[in-house]
Amino acid sequence: MKTYIKIILTIIGISFTSCTDVIDVDVPDAPPRLVIEASLDWEKGTIGNNQTIKLTTSTKYFDKVINNDVTGASVKVTNDNNGTEFIFIDQNNGEYTTTNFVPVLNQSYTLEVIYNNEVYIAKETMMPVTDIAEVFQSIEEFDGDEILEVNLKYDDPEDEENYYFAKFRERGDLLPELYYDSDEFTNGNRMSLEYSKYEDEDINQDEFKPGDIVDIKLFGISKGYYNYISLLIDQAESDGGPFSTIPAPLKGNCTNTTKPSNYAFGYFRLTQVNTTSYTFQ
Amino acid sequence: MKKAFFALIFFTSLLSAQEKHTISGTINDVRNGETLFGASVFLKDTSIGVVTNEYGFYSITAPDGVYTLIISYMGYIDIAKEITLNSDKKLNFELSESSEQLDEIIITSEETGRINIKKPEMSVAKLKSETIKKIPVVLGEVDIVKSIQTLPGVTNTGEGSSGFNVRGGAVDQNLVLLDEAIIYNTSHLLGFFSVFNADAIKDVKLYKGGIPAKFGGRVSSVLDVRQKDGNSKQIGLTGGIGLISSRLAIEGPMFNKKGSFLVAGRGSYAHLFMGLSEDTKDSKVNFYDLNLKTNYKLSEKNKLYLSGYFGRDLFNFSKNFKSSYGNLSGNLRWNHIFNDKLFSNLSLIYSKYDYDLTIESAEFDWVSSINNYNLKYDLKYYVSNNFKLDFGVSGVYYNFDPGQVEPTSPTSPINPLKLDEKRAFETGSYVNAEHKITEKLTAQYGLRYSTFSRLGGQAMSNYQNGQPVVYNSALGIYEEGTEIGTTSYKKSETIKSFGNFEPRLGLSYQLTQNSSLKAGYSRTAQYIHLLSNTISVTPLDVWTPSGKFIKPQLSNQYALGYFKNFTDDVYSLEVEAYYKDIENRIDYIDGSDLIGQNNIETEILNGESRAYGVELLLRKNKGDFTGWLAYTISKSEQRTLGDNVEGPGINDGDWYNTPHDRTHDVSLTGIYKLNDKWTFSSNLVFQTGRPVTYPNGQYEYEGLSIASYSQRNSDRLPAYHRLDISATYRPNNKPNRRWKGEWVFGIYNLYNQKNAASISFGQNAETGANEATRTAIFGIVPSITYNFKF
Repeated sequence: MKTYIKIILTIIGISFTSCTDVIDVDVPDAPPRLVIEASLDWEKGTIGNNQTIKLTTSTKYFDKVINNDVTGASVKVTNDNNGTEFIFIDQNNGEYTTTNFVPVLNQSYTLEVIYNNEVYIAKETMMPVTDIAEVFQSIEEFDGDEILEVNLKYDDPEDEENYYFAKFRERGDLLPELYYDSDEFTNGNRMSLEYSKYEDEDINQDEFKPGDIVDIKLFGISKGYYNYISLLIDQAESDGGPFSTIPAPLKGNCTNTTKPSNYAFGYFRLTQVNTTSYTFQ
Repeated sequence: MKKAFFALIFFTSLLSAQEKHTISGTINDVRNGETLFGASVFLKDTSIGVVTNEYGFYSITAPDGVYTLIISYMGYIDIAKEITLNSDKKLNFELSESSEQLDEIIITSEETGRINIKKPEMSVAKLKSETIKKIPVVLGEVDIVKSIQTLPGVTNTGEGSSGFNVRGGAVDQNLVLLDEAIIYNTSHLLGFFSVFNADAIKDVKLYKGGIPAKFGGRVSSVLDVRQKDGNSKQIGLTGGIGLISSRLAIEGPMFNKKGSFLVAGRGSYAHLFMGLSEDTKDSKVNFYDLNLKTNYKLSEKNKLYLSGYFGRDLFNFSKNFKSSYGNLSGNLRWNHIFNDKLFSNLSLIYSKYDYDLTIESAEFDWVSSINNYNLKYDLKYYVSNNFKLDFGVSGVYYNFDPGQVEPTSPTSPINPLKLDEKRAFETGSYVNAEHKITEKLTAQYGLRYSTFSRLGGQAMSNYQNGQPVVYNSALGIYEEGTEIGTTSYKKSETIKSFGNFEPRLGLSYQLTQNSSLKAGYSRTAQYIHLLSNTISVTPLDVWTPSGKFIKPQLSNQYALGYFKNFTDDVYSLEVEAYYKDIENRIDYIDGSDLIGQNNIETEILNGESRAYGVELLLRKNKGDFTGWLAYTISKSEQRTLGDNVEGPGINDGDWYNTPHDRTHDVSLTGIYKLNDKWTFSSNLVFQTGRPVTYPNGQYEYEGLSIASYSQRNSDRLPAYHRLDISATYRPNNKPNRRWKGEWVFGIYNLYNQKNAASISFGQNAETGANEATRTAIFGIVPSITYNFKF
């Protein structure tokens, strides 16, 4: 629901906008930081023992070529209950992988990354996810146009606070569309996310047409990750309009125990995920 | 009652040591009977004089003798009358305007003339009949809030943002009164227009500092807007047809000329804005408002006034999104003149602001509101020529309904939700003296005592260690504290109460016949807060009362000024320097989520703010060419350390710019009257860009380029500047013809400057490259308006 409120504020904000253009702006330049994309996603119904952690560094905002993979780090994840260690092997392309990870729902794990003699630590719990109830297409009416959208429905469990993260991506698209949701206003109900695209010549974007395929992922996430990813999505999609949120530094859960001010970007998340795809008719 | 009055007059001169008598009465406009506020009434060749109060009343006392009584009011012809003072006299006067023209509103920073150079009042801007309409405005809509922004010390967050900022203060720190009723949102269409219909407004006074003790409740400024009473002589019609909206006002005598009425309406044309943008052509955006006023003279000494305002904004986006909001207010007043020296007014006031949002596709409806009842009693006692006393009491009861969510269909995924209603009671009592200490030194000193009680009738959360926000030192972020149950408060209980003494002082020392030095100090308390973590205040933002976790804002302001009239009052110069600090200015923590938040205390930290600057206003008041140059250099910043909460504070505990910090602000307004038919005007504005937060790096996450951000508000948008022009044409208006019309042609942003309202940073969906996108709201905008009066 919050997303809707943010959307309407955005619409109200842009409805007065008569002109936007891309300009050159000088922005400040912060020293690079380590970025830990440790997303241990456990596809529901699989064993989940193949996992990848990605390490990079941040760059200047307008740098176009990002060649900043981090190699030579040591990466391991520990099951906090029984102390089992899972060592992630450096693939020399920024990726660190394991083939023997054992995911356990609601189990807490610790990530340890050692890079440049500094130790980064994060703790997180493997979160379950509810099943996808249905995926279907519908027609959205907006300002006289009828456009196709894909609907994702899932049933929220009533007895607990639940947080969701979803990813939609049309095959062939460069960028995914990210969503977050919580059951704060919808506890125990059938929840819904919709994805549609508008025609936009500037970025060569078209509406959905029959035959288009959209890949969909629905994650169950922790409250801490929800706080992180919701802010990240808001900031990434901010239009800078009058009602957009003022951007703030985004801190994940990876702390630097050697030099605390040198914390890492990114997040150590452990989530169960449902994957599906939809072909427009 | 009377005993109390005499008790208050603790050091007045012995009233009749020498034979003295009093002249009192009211000053009105001859044409429509409107009372004139701020007219000077003085005895020629003496230093004895006063200005009329809000109801046009004056009272002066002088030793017996023969005098010339002068009544003057800017834009009107002076009246001079020989009087022999040997008994108390009641004299009412009617002034006529110096030239026939439509009712317009002029900006004068202070009325020039011998009285005001001495008056200890400073940091005040007054708007009255004549020029607001001549300042070119966007789309030809006369706008009081925009006009005051041409004065030093007043800015706003940019085109398309609501409200205004005074001396580095936030929008919620302005007390905006329309006929004494609190207006919570001054904007229509998100700040493109103000809620004040110029046809219904008599005068406007903005106190940027030196706020008199009779006002309280906000720490930055008071905008005191008064509606016209209505023409008591004859039926009149005023109106205008513009590109965006049309106006119509009707006024006239009532009750056998014992009273009068005014009804004014204004509405915008739907679709209009939306037509500008291809994407939104089927949506509707419009606003309307209605002003009402009537008065009835019960007797020479008793007069009743009833006024009301109702305004609404409507946004419909296809059938899916509907949003509406607006203010509603009413005020019943009773003016009573006890005797020729004691004037009183009792007001019963109601005001409300509410917001409604319906989203069909998500199947829910959201409403929120704030309303208050206010009873106040103000008295003015003209003790002697050298001593005047204002005193009074007031009580305000508030009800805050921060949000109710209802599903709009049985299949809606949304559960009904109601955020806690909050109630509070605020009181104020004050005494304020205007005291002429010597011929050259005049002082205004007063004391206000305010109280605020957060009333029960709700449950409040308790937190571990009493901390609704805690610092997570491992992650280096602030987060919600741990709730350890709630405490329920009965309606009869008080959750928390506050009391504050608010001294006010103004001094004026006359250096020469035409110049003076003034100094002022004021302490003010503010008990209700509007918190927003968006760039602009949204209509959805909810006011929050002080209480268990949020403390009242307390401000000290110091100001020093030099005032000079020269070349026969043709020019005037005002220079003021100010410094103010505000304790308990809250700010939201990084990543806060304010929507639907029942426990707002978990999203904020306590801090402080300060602002300082120098303002210069040079005006040419007379002649065919008039105008003013306003320049402000200032700084406005805040620091949020979070009191006893651990951690470094917001922005690492460093001072950071408030969103309304503007280093330089220049405004040049010129009005040239070519002849009786044509008047030209122009307005040039230059401002330092608004503080913003720019990215300082990027990294890849979830396949996207994510920006990392620098310190809060440490960067700036490019400087804002534009030039507007307008021309007013009055066809042959014969003085004896009742129908008078005029055409106003205007061009806003003449050289089509693309001023950035915002700059957003994001990834191009096609190329994946990061880019900065500038949003400009108005390019060049021509306009045409026809105004008429019958």
